[in-house]
Amino acid sequence: MGNLSFASLIRRPESGAFLGMVFVFVFFAIFGGRNFTSFAGAASWLNVAANLGIIAIPIGFLMIAGELDISIGAMVPAASMSMGIISGHYGLPIPVGILMTLGFAVVIGWINGIMVVRTAVPSLIVTMGTLFAVTGLTLFLSILLTNTTAVAMNPPAWAKAIFGGFYFNSYQVIIVWWLGLTALYVYFLHFSPWGNWLFAMGGDKESARNAGIPTTKFTIGLFILSSVSAAFVGLCQTILFNSAQVSTGMSFIFNAIISVVIGGVLLTGGFGSVIGIFFGTLTFAMVNQGIYFTDFDRNLSSLIIGVMLLIAVLMNNTFRQMALSYTGSRKKD
Amino acid sequence: MMNMRKNMLAAMLASVALTGAASAADIAVIAGSANDAFFNRVKKGVDDAALVVQANGGTVNYLTTQNYDNFGPDLVQLINTAVSQGVDGIAIPVWVAESQVPALKSAADQGIKIMMYNSGAEVKEQIAGINYFGSDEFVAGEAGGAYMAKKGAKKILCHIHVPGAVNLERRCDGIVAGAEANGATVMRLPTPASIDSDVTGTSEALKAELLKDPSIDAVITMGAWASDAATIAIQQAGRPVLLGTFDLSPSVLERIKAGTQTMAIDQQPYAQAFLATTMLAAYIDFGIDLPTDPVLTGPGIVDAGNIDAALVGVAAGAR
Repeated sequence: MGNLSFASLIRRPESGAFLGMVFVFVFFAIFGGRNFTSFAGAASWLNVAANLGIIAIPIGFLMIAGELDISIGAMVPAASMSMGIISGHYGLPIPVGILMTLGFAVVIGWINGIMVVRTAVPSLIVTMGTLFAVTGLTLFLSILLTNTTAVAMNPPAWAKAIFGGFYFNSYQVIIVWWLGLTALYVYFLHFSPWGNWLFAMGGDKESARNAGIPTTKFTIGLFILSSVSAAFVGLCQTILFNSAQVSTGMSFIFNAIISVVIGGVLLTGGFGSVIGIFFGTLTFAMVNQGIYFTDFDRNLSSLIIGVMLLIAVLMNNTFRQMALSYTGSRKKD
Repeated sequence: MMNMRKNMLAAMLASVALTGAASAADIAVIAGSANDAFFNRVKKGVDDAALVVQANGGTVNYLTTQNYDNFGPDLVQLINTAVSQGVDGIAIPVWVAESQVPALKSAADQGIKIMMYNSGAEVKEQIAGINYFGSDEFVAGEAGGAYMAKKGAKKILCHIHVPGAVNLERRCDGIVAGAEANGATVMRLPTPASIDSDVTGTSEALKAELLKDPSIDAVITMGAWASDAATIAIQQAGRPVLLGTFDLSPSVLERIKAGTQTMAIDQQPYAQAFLATTMLAAYIDFGIDLPTDPVLTGPGIVDAGNIDAALVGVAAGAR
């Protein structure tokens, strides 16, 4: 870590992800024109990256530890509705809505975690179960309590300022949360002992437990973190758009996992970095939103997104291999 | 064709035999799961129509599927339930033609009158349906496109959140027709599945289009949630852009009331259910048949001019 030579810098897991991001940025800066790189245009992909990034990093942690949480796809709309129902439909104060919503997310995350550590069922299947269960529960409770599947809410100015407002006309306040949380997670993964535990669990869970790492508690904690993060994004969206509906946030599942993988986390676990996921999320957001700044036929959007993402990941992988075989200037002993 | 006529003739004869004298209509109305916001409006229409039917001495039985998991067979089960209850008529949408048509045909053969609403106008002849109450996506789009053009729009952005979804593409086709007839052009924007139901992603996509093409002066979204996204996009684009959407939601109505959204296109499910039920009873009891066929119940456009009445309808559960 301390050695900041060129060789050690390019060997860091996030270097490849950074390169992929630069490629995508340059591509859209050329084809998207001045709007893409302008102050207002940049908000377009930063807003999307922030919403996705807050969820992607905890998902990245789970993937490093060899787990997965797809129930976030139900948590986002569930939290959005819960916020809308508590503080919109019933008109209770915003803090009550936030606390109850996050509390609900803690319960779901805890259930996910307990099920994963207590049963031998893979986390993909466990969280698929909660994905559908939470979706159904959200629909049922919404109809029961409000008799509709969408609610409106008019949050006070202070709540907008902190959770769901715009600054400089187009920058969502959630970007600040994203940057702050990313910094916190960098410390967590790379500078605190917990980070080493995480990598150890992803490498080999048995030996990690034998080495005295509280893997059970730790796993449950990670599931709670991803669930709460998804809920946070959901409730911020309700505050931002003054509206919530029972539509599924299935796109978040896929997009978060893609961002994590573009960011250099291995699907097999045990390897990855927070900054890498950060770059991966930015890459994904740029590709997704960059399309709308170009003159390409809109029917080709998905094709272009697919090709661009593939190129970004290929660059990342090729670069990583080159970097790992690059030895730098040999030190004389 | 010959067969169909024979069936219809047989059905008519049988019904004469069955209904005979002054016995009033016993009707079954079949609908989708009550969990669906749409069918809450349908139920309100049926409940209100039931008052009329009961006033004439008839009954209305409202049958719904539990969910959409086993939709075709569930609907057939409901049709058979209605038949076994000995009803005089069934009001029903046809969603799964291959399952429903044989069951409805055999019901018609037993003299049961079939009234159609919401969906399936194309199989009306096959099941000897009396009339059809529903909306037409193309006609609804056409009305929306014409409305925006008459409000002064020159270039309308038509946002499709599920590219390839037949009903959404039809709506957009209609918007193109309506706009072009009134001197406006339309730009179609299909957004990929990766941002479906993602409000922030959709909002940013719409904003980018608005920034890129300053000549866009109106946006029509195909779903209520997408117009939440469009609202922010328009705010940030920093110029006046007309906004319309298909379907209603509380936030859409609030915006129309506040003046930040121009209009919403409603297919008025209440009218579909209310008319299908009352007209079925009127046909059975009094032989009343409307010459207008099919009867379009939409589009109803909600804008600043009728928002207060629409809000009353929402509170009553009819819109």
